[in-house]
Amino acid sequence: MYAEFDLTIPENLPEALKALGVAGKRAVPLSGGTNVLVDIRSQRIAPDCLLDLGHVHQLRGITVEQGRVTLGARTTVGDLLASAEVARYAPALVEAARVFAGQMVRNAATVAGNVACGSPAADLVPPLLALDAEVTLSSVRGSRKLALADYHVGYKSDRREADELITAISWPVPAANAFGGFYKLARRKGDAITVTGVAVSIGIDGRRCDRARIALGSVAPIPMRARKAEALLEGAEMTPDRIAAAAAAAMEECSPIDDVRATGEYRRHMVGVLVARLINAAIQAASKE
Amino acid sequence: MSRDKAITLHVNGRPETTVVPPHRTLLEALRGLGHVDVKCGCEKGDCGACAVLIDGKAAVSCLTLAHSATGREITTLQGLGSTESPHPLQQSFSDLGAAQCGFCTPGMIIAAESLLRSDPDPTEEQIRHALSGNLCRCTGYVKIFEAVQTAAAVMRNAGEAK
Amino acid sequence: MTVSDLDQTQPNLRFSQIGKPLTRTDSPGKATGRTPYAGDYVMPGMLHAKVLRADLASARLRRLDVSKARALPGVACVLTAADMPDRSIATDIPGQTGRARLKTDQQILVKERVRYFGEPLALIAAETPDIAEKARRLIEVELEPIPGVYDPEEALKPGAPVVQGTDNIVATHRIRKGDLEAGFAAADTIVEHTYVTPFQEHAFLEPEVGLAWIDENEVITIRVCTQVIEHFRAVADAVGVPHNKLRIMGALVGGGFGGKEDVTVETYLAILAQKTRRPVRLEFSREESFLGHGKRHPMKLKYRTGVTREGKITALDVQVVADAGAYVYLSPYVLLYCAVNAPGPYRVDNLNVFARAVATNNMFASAFRGFGGIQAAAAYEQQMDECANAIGMDRMEFRRRNYLQTGDAISTGFVPPSAIWTEKCADLAWKALGAPTPSAGPVRIGRGIGACQQSYGRLTFLHDTSEAWVGIEMDGTVTVRSGVTDIGAGQASALAQIAAEILGVTLPNVTVYNSDSQVTPLAGTTTASRALYMTGNAARVAAQGLRDRLAAVAADLLGADPSQIVMEFNRVSVADDPDRGMSIADLVKVCGTRGVHRSELAIFRAPFTDVLDPETGQGQAHPDYAYGAHAIECAVDTETGEVTILKSVAAHDVGQCINRAAVDGQIHGGTQNGLGYALSEEMLYREGRLVTPSFSEYLTPTSMDMPHVETIVLESRSGLGPFGSKGIGEPSMTPVAPAVANAIADAIGVRIFEMPITPERVWRALQEARKRAEPPAAGG
Repeated sequence: MYAEFDLTIPENLPEALKALGVAGKRAVPLSGGTNVLVDIRSQRIAPDCLLDLGHVHQLRGITVEQGRVTLGARTTVGDLLASAEVARYAPALVEAARVFAGQMVRNAATVAGNVACGSPAADLVPPLLALDAEVTLSSVRGSRKLALADYHVGYKSDRREADELITAISWPVPAANAFGGFYKLARRKGDAITVTGVAVSIGIDGRRCDRARIALGSVAPIPMRARKAEALLEGAEMTPDRIAAAAAAAMEECSPIDDVRATGEYRRHMVGVLVARLINAAIQAASKE
Repeated sequence: MSRDKAITLHVNGRPETTVVPPHRTLLEALRGLGHVDVKCGCEKGDCGACAVLIDGKAAVSCLTLAHSATGREITTLQGLGSTESPHPLQQSFSDLGAAQCGFCTPGMIIAAESLLRSDPDPTEEQIRHALSGNLCRCTGYVKIFEAVQTAAAVMRNAGEAK
Repeated sequence: MTVSDLDQTQPNLRFSQIGKPLTRTDSPGKATGRTPYAGDYVMPGMLHAKVLRADLASARLRRLDVSKARALPGVACVLTAADMPDRSIATDIPGQTGRARLKTDQQILVKERVRYFGEPLALIAAETPDIAEKARRLIEVELEPIPGVYDPEEALKPGAPVVQGTDNIVATHRIRKGDLEAGFAAADTIVEHTYVTPFQEHAFLEPEVGLAWIDENEVITIRVCTQVIEHFRAVADAVGVPHNKLRIMGALVGGGFGGKEDVTVETYLAILAQKTRRPVRLEFSREESFLGHGKRHPMKLKYRTGVTREGKITALDVQVVADAGAYVYLSPYVLLYCAVNAPGPYRVDNLNVFARAVATNNMFASAFRGFGGIQAAAAYEQQMDECANAIGMDRMEFRRRNYLQTGDAISTGFVPPSAIWTEKCADLAWKALGAPTPSAGPVRIGRGIGACQQSYGRLTFLHDTSEAWVGIEMDGTVTVRSGVTDIGAGQASALAQIAAEILGVTLPNVTVYNSDSQVTPLAGTTTASRALYMTGNAARVAAQGLRDRLAAVAADLLGADPSQIVMEFNRVSVADDPDRGMSIADLVKVCGTRGVHRSELAIFRAPFTDVLDPETGQGQAHPDYAYGAHAIECAVDTETGEVTILKSVAAHDVGQCINRAAVDGQIHGGTQNGLGYALSEEMLYREGRLVTPSFSEYLTPTSMDMPHVETIVLESRSGLGPFGSKGIGEPSMTPVAPAVANAIADAIGVRIFEMPITPERVWRALQEARKRAEPPAAGG
């Protein structure tokens, strides 16, 4: 690879935040490297400075405290697959982690990196959106929390200030009646970029839905929530007609484009198919409990 | 102003010092040091030919900066065994014809070793999952799965014998 | 399938080395990371090279300013077309051709006209790869776009932009046999469909790489990963040195599949070494590799078949248009393979084939495993299913009524000299699918079969030869020398096994020295499934000649007749009296004292023929053909279009297995290549610009995608290769893609006529079928 940048490797979080505070926009945080280095090599980005977080060990780890599951920003996709807590509190996230890239990229890629890369095809983001996840941003100025649903504002653009670092991703422990899943539709089964990704989380009270989250990947400039579809389900009885209406609403609200993997038309239809499938699968899982 | 810096990498149990700029990948640095058993196939994490163990876990060395790899234990295929004293995976890949052109083999065996360190008795499905970042164009993977299973059994038996 | 036929597939007990699943001689080094590949060699004082490429597919080069790049400290040289006037490189078939070369040369660097995206503009050599890259970015290029043509059918139209020459037609082949009109008149049904096949990238794991230097005899020496060291002549011509002053040394190749059959880095390396007089290394990046070698030809194949109600094919008319891309390369030959194999392994008495390869401003197309036979198979096997459906006959039954049988003539009127066991292979593969998997919900299960006729050995009008040298040392070890390149299929190991079998030594006692254009006897290309057939025979003949001499001395020493001499497991003895014997090492020592010649150089010649009749296409095109079949069971999600391969069974007559593990490996790999071709591999071009230049866009099957592949290996012992063997490198892939296409059509009741059969194409085909099935709107 050929590029010209400085590399800073802080030993702990305060050092990292301090360095980022000084470098600001000129610096790009580097964690797993599976996006940033690819982008540098292809000359999509040309940062003056990389801030390698490899020694900031306190950013790695999974905790469950006070009704919230918190992932340190450097928790890897592989860590998600090995975690009993994540398996229990975010099975859809585990499904996404399982089909995420190839094994060695899973070993390196981090949750925060997947959020920060801003790709509409970032596989971890739809399940995290469905969990009502929050992003913790830290800087020398302090910390703030932002709903993940508000984090991305447009294609490759987000609300992180130049001196801020994503330090954690967290979500509330899901209610006992929450069921859902994730499905990645791609052009091959291993290590592929997503054509359409859908995550669903439904609170099921008898036949009624008391909470609905439907999140879509690769069908809009950013991973998105299908809020109209959610609204059609919440408080309603989940009849086949209602599910079909929600699927149709999700198809309506997404805005997929044509690219080398698929046409927008196909992606839109797949949103309909997958949303209905995942809702039905959630109902079925609930009925088995 | 040169950004070059001397770094020490711990490769196959030995420290090795090299002077490289920050953009030098671990893949490039290792090959520069003569570890040409680490193969370059795509330089962007798609093919897995450059896999090495970093602190016991498989990583693509093309997406790791050399400077970031200091202080970590790096193992290449040659670090696992030799023709005189092969690792069970090397033996089974050789015996069963799991290497054809052999170019994916270093990364493939490293990924398999990483799997067997965390799961000594994987199912075929788990093997497929663990090798999903390693492309092969010659073998159709069929003999590779067999070789990993064979080596796993050999390693389990050796473990029980101890 | 009778019991006696099954016996043919049993392990062959006559041999001590042949047919066994022995560890290949190259395996231990590869499994332990000890094997050096071409990219692993370095030299003191070595320079690093880069290539600057055009980023338009059709343009005029207005300005190329390399002054800033040349001025960069550490840059040894920057070369453009201006530095090498009138230098071009032959893109024709290399080696011992029986024909005059085609006039198909490509400029080494663009002088004026850019004809494809990625065409090389300048070469850079510098002290480090970083400096070379920096210099590349400093070169200023002005390209003026000119209208190009990107669709071969458009390129055929009057007024279309001409890529080169006077029109865009690169090659035309005709095959005519019988009376086509009478054949169609005799048919009860005529079935007509057009099948579309895509570009395919070889996707070998080792990108093109080489190292060149000038040796003490002023020989430009190039260590390179190639299938064809015989390109030394073309490279020597390109750089203007005598043929004996250019040496190409191969290395074990990290995958070829036809993609390392043409010249890649060699010319650039030779020029740079010549200019700088220093060692130079050039390695393509993966993205460059996508631009740096020819692809499989996309083709449009229109099939019109006449069939009777009884299931007999009465006539077949085939029209083929192939996209040759911007330069000729091997297009005429690839197209010929397609034409010859157009009817496949089926009897067609009334035949017309009209095939054209057309120049466009797309990436040039050239050799790829299957070499035109693949595209034909993709069409004829799908057409067989369509014909069976049209007359309401079981697909297997319809095929059985039309398969060529041993002794039948193929399309060109030529009768293959070996067994034609297609029917046996197809039946065995089909049966091995076992009990059907049930369909569930939106997921439908389907099955498909494909068979193949695929030549092994090069076109016979090329007058192909191969040489090998076999010698035995004083300690009883054996040396084989042959130019053959080993591209991963165990080509060198097979020679070792053949020499070991004949000379009666064990495999570890044989060492093969190969792949050096000036030191090892030239063996021809490792292409066309010919290495075992041609070089294996050369090694067999050489080893046999040597054995005869050794046996004569042994007979004398042991007081027996030479016909009684047995050489096996490093010992020589008398048949029926095994105690009367000695070690082969001791025998060789005696030979040494007697001055017996302990080596033998042999040449093997394929059949030499003239070209096919240009009007009728009748005559002999290839030495022989291999036959086999592939059966597939797949699941199709009818809502998403996703396809999962559930079962995959290959049955091939390999003539005689030399190494069972290697044969299985070829079949597994051929299956992977075929599944990718059918389902996921797609090179997308926009105005000739490749938009899928990496392994994250160009999707070869991964470990998660590959099914288990069952192999059924038949041995007719009728092939032209050593011990009756045939080739298996290409045949293993040929029937796979149509079997998949047929399985998908079987599952969903709709055929998708264009590969790759992506989820979206499946979904679209189903949508359209549903629309067709809907009753027309009321009130109309």
